[in-house]
Amino acid sequence: MPKRKLDPLPAAAFQILLSIADEELHGYAIMRQVEQQTNGRMRLGPGTLYNSIQGLLEEGLIEEMDRKSEVESEMERRRYYRLTSTGRKLARAEAERLADLLRVARAKKILRGDYV
Amino acid sequence: MSEKVFALLVRLYPAAFRQRYEEEVLRLYRERLRDERGLFPRLRLTWDLTVDAVMGVSRAWRDSLSETTTTSVVSNVSGFPSFHLLTREPLKPGTVALGCVLSAVALAAFGVVMRLPAPDRFSNSRGVLSPVEAVLERLNRVVAAPTNSGTGGQDDVTKVSGELARSQVKKEPSSQPEAGAQAPLTAQQRDEVVRGVAENISAHYFDRQKAQKLADSLRVLNGQGSYAKIVNEHLLAERLTTDVRSATGDRHLNVVYSARGNPIAALAPPSAAEFERYRSMLVRENCSIERTEILPGNIGYLKLNRFPDLDVCGTMLHKSMSQIDKANTVIFDLRDNEGGFPAAVADMAAPLFNRTVAWYNPRAAQSATTLMPAARSALSNKPVYILTSSRTLSAAEQFTYNLKMLKRATVVGETTGGGGHTGTYYRVDEHFGIGIPETKITNPYGGPDWDGVGVEPDVKVKAADALEAAKKMAARQTGR
Repeated sequence: MPKRKLDPLPAAAFQILLSIADEELHGYAIMRQVEQQTNGRMRLGPGTLYNSIQGLLEEGLIEEMDRKSEVESEMERRRYYRLTSTGRKLARAEAERLADLLRVARAKKILRGDYV
Repeated sequence: MSEKVFALLVRLYPAAFRQRYEEEVLRLYRERLRDERGLFPRLRLTWDLTVDAVMGVSRAWRDSLSETTTTSVVSNVSGFPSFHLLTREPLKPGTVALGCVLSAVALAAFGVVMRLPAPDRFSNSRGVLSPVEAVLERLNRVVAAPTNSGTGGQDDVTKVSGELARSQVKKEPSSQPEAGAQAPLTAQQRDEVVRGVAENISAHYFDRQKAQKLADSLRVLNGQGSYAKIVNEHLLAERLTTDVRSATGDRHLNVVYSARGNPIAALAPPSAAEFERYRSMLVRENCSIERTEILPGNIGYLKLNRFPDLDVCGTMLHKSMSQIDKANTVIFDLRDNEGGFPAAVADMAAPLFNRTVAWYNPRAAQSATTLMPAARSALSNKPVYILTSSRTLSAAEQFTYNLKMLKRATVVGETTGGGGHTGTYYRVDEHFGIGIPETKITNPYGGPDWDGVGVEPDVKVKAADALEAAKKMAARQTGR
């Protein structure tokens, strides 16, 4: 299986995984979700977004499904994406890795302000 | 960023990617456009899309290519390699057009480079000019571009220092194609050449009667238009040579054409410095003696690649001959010998005789000469073989011909080149010249000499096999 360098998981790919952690989303919604998650820092362009999606699909971390658009006026099929169980496990592992890092940072008193 | 521009950017993605995602990509664009209004957001959007296009396109291409390298190798079916398409990237017309343009440019550039003039200076591989070359170069005022005149077999016949050989002009390593440098002959040019040839013959040929008849018949032929169809200078020279030879029965007449041009003035003798350079070149090249050795069966073998100036090389030649004078048989290898000095020819032949013999020298002022034997030579009663090839010329042919006629040697190999250069060279114009014998040359052996036809070998074999054939014959002869 071709490896698209998802180890370590690139930032964009991880953000996408997080964005669909609790619901299925289509491309544009993912982009907006990621933007919100990162406080406007990461605005995925179509190229980056779909390259990443392609990579995640190939690794079996997400899967796509066609669904009719929610909005009544748009009578068209859209591709929606959701996490697979593998994807969920990987996202969890990645999050825990980051949490460990955070713990160390806290212990070293690097963080400013009040962080939980 | 307008949709048209964005659509163009999308086209940069690989076909596979576009097939899957083009619709969604465009939709994403439209939705962002709808939601991001106002000057600043629009500007930011344009920037985002540009950067994204650059990063995205390169990544998409990289990813599509990395797929191919990790695809598993398709196993051979019964030993034959099989071919599979890994990607189905369609051939865009733009790519084809670009390829055509690049090829055309490359070919045009090649053509331009090939037309650049080759250097005028010519010299042998050691970088030293022989006196002949130095004089020619000095006097050469050629305006036309130099061409490779080696293919037509036309020689620059020059009578300098009595040397009976092709001048080194022929060996110039020019890569220019002939056709590019010469314009076709006009009728006027042809007339002038024919007239010049006729005039020179009637002025210089030793047989006045024949000369006049020949000159007249040439003019008549030209008037009748016999040469009208010839537009190539080499062909005209060849045709005129054939005509003058058949009209007189004298093969020593020779019309030549040289694209590089004739020296304009009479040739001055080489300067002392030039001669010194020539002399040291000869010495360095071992006087053209390629090999001297005694082969198994006590066969003396001497490979000589020219008949050099005796003043410079006489001692070395005698040394070589003395190295083989205890042999039972002698083989002279002249397969790469293109000529030289008649004096050297006689000098090399003298040890082979123990009595005075008639000696044919077409360059001698007198009509015939004789050859005195070398004193007390051990080789004078030993069998002699001469190896020849089609490149054997001029003085080497003289050596071969005389010894064959005197029945002193067996000639093994190919028919020789047929270059006599026995006449005096006269300039017809800048490029044409004619060799005309000014005195009647009598052949003591009767019959025609080798001019134009070469010397026929006694044993005809390919040049490469001549040595082995001669060795076998020598072994048989000495009863081993």
